[in-house]
Amino acid sequence: MTNLLKIEWLKIKKYPAFWWMLIIVTLTYPGINLMFFNVYLEIANGKETINQVVKMFLGNPFSFPESWHTVAFFSSFFILLPSILVIMLVTNEYNYKTHRQNIIDGWSRSEFITSKLIDVLIIAGVVTLIYVLVAISFGMYADDMSWNRWAEQLKYIPLFFLQTFAQLSIAFLLGYLVKKAFIALGIFLFYFLIVENIIIGLLKWKKLPGSRFLPFEISDKIIVSPPFIGNFGKDLKTGYEEALKQVPEHIGLTILLTAIIWLICYKIHNKRDII
Amino acid sequence: METVLSLDGVSKSYKSIKALKNVSLTIPKGSVFGILGPNGSGKTTMMSIVLDILKADSGTFSWFNSPNHSSERKRIGSLLETPNFYHYLSAVNNLNITQAISGRGNAADIDKVLEIVNLSERKKSKFSAYSLGMKQRLAIGAALLGDPEVLLLDEPTNGLDPVGIAEIRELIKSLAQKGITIIIASHLLDEVEKICSHVAILKKGTLLTSGSVNEVLSNEDIVEVAASNMEQLKSCIAIMGGFISIKEENGRLQIHYPIGTANIEYINSHCFNNGITLQHLLSKKKSLESKFFELTND
Repeated sequence: MTNLLKIEWLKIKKYPAFWWMLIIVTLTYPGINLMFFNVYLEIANGKETINQVVKMFLGNPFSFPESWHTVAFFSSFFILLPSILVIMLVTNEYNYKTHRQNIIDGWSRSEFITSKLIDVLIIAGVVTLIYVLVAISFGMYADDMSWNRWAEQLKYIPLFFLQTFAQLSIAFLLGYLVKKAFIALGIFLFYFLIVENIIIGLLKWKKLPGSRFLPFEISDKIIVSPPFIGNFGKDLKTGYEEALKQVPEHIGLTILLTAIIWLICYKIHNKRDII
Repeated sequence: METVLSLDGVSKSYKSIKALKNVSLTIPKGSVFGILGPNGSGKTTMMSIVLDILKADSGTFSWFNSPNHSSERKRIGSLLETPNFYHYLSAVNNLNITQAISGRGNAADIDKVLEIVNLSERKKSKFSAYSLGMKQRLAIGAALLGDPEVLLLDEPTNGLDPVGIAEIRELIKSLAQKGITIIIASHLLDEVEKICSHVAILKKGTLLTSGSVNEVLSNEDIVEVAASNMEQLKSCIAIMGGFISIKEENGRLQIHYPIGTANIEYINSHCFNNGITLQHLLSKKKSLESKFFELTND
């Protein structure tokens, strides 16, 4: 296992796209959160009475311990960036035919899939690390009175990791099956940005249940929107509490879906001709 | 004799095309084993199956008489079809990956094989910047890494210049002398003839023959003769007897004899006694090329 990790690191560390992804994510995560933080500040620092009322409702979503939750929620919009890298890492192997060479040189077929699983784990880990750093920075900066509550809600770190890993696994499956980088990326973007949202919209419009069981929704629902949303009216509050109740179920479903994805990859790879 | 690789009844189809039909073969330790066949005869399919890249439809194979394929594969240095490396990595970093996966060799060995394939000066360049010949040489270097007991080379001289081809031939000869088993697929027949101890000939997925080069090739003696009056020569030879057949080729007659029965002195005197002076008299061994065409022509 450590040998596989070492080999994957040899492949990744000199791959320029990896470092580009890292730079872009390190800019995007603070960026998006800073944007919402500024909106919050604008409202909270207003002199009108209404500003003070809104501030009361919002609390400070970027101070500890809420920053763990808020930053996870906003950062998770950008799963697209590491997904591109995951798709490139698997389609590169096809492109260079190194998926054959690795086996010729002595890996078993299962070891090859395990090596790719390690790739996805590495990327999910790196992305989670950036999230943690951003959440800590906001927590410390947003309110210096609440830093002593930093250790509450640390559960969002494993939840963020699980969500990232689960969604990157879907990207991997696409790259693995489609083999061509641009086609896989195209399908991924089209489904992730358009198709799933249309289906969600349609189901809601027809008042049909089940939208939460779509591939990305399953893991989206393990990090619910920040609690201040629930402070604006009764409907939103019940919606928020409902979503919160479903979290454990979605954690289970996410683990199940991800396990199925990887099992499919192992199964196929052990059976098919590697061409 | 110890066996390095054995195939037993291996068949493989791609949809409607039968790429390999019931091929059984054993490759003895220490041999230089040439696998010959025209394009599309199944050479690469066979090599891909024994390297576990393709799954055979039926039949089995084993390396070193062991059932465990992936651990045995680490003992074999292989070059299959094309050089497959990470384009963004240098030669050294690519070989680091080969080394880490196969467990063969160490950092010093990487420098050594790069020296052997003349890539030392460019060892830090990215693979994508290499010429076709350099890519091929890197692939040969990767196969040689850590002195494997068996080399499996599919068209190793592809893309190399004449000097490169001669170098690889010398390299293979010197490795064979060290007792390394070399399995080599090629359609360059004179190349195989110069270095192989054993051959197998494939055609449309069927194994036509296999064995040591001498067994496969020398089942006939050939004597080539020519004179100024070819018609007279033909009728003279026809009454001589003892041969199997006569063929006319390029203005010369080729007389085929059962192995070990050609007598050049007798032919010369027989012609002279019949009033014919020969311009040309040559005892030939059947070339691999002619044997190959004989077997693979319909």
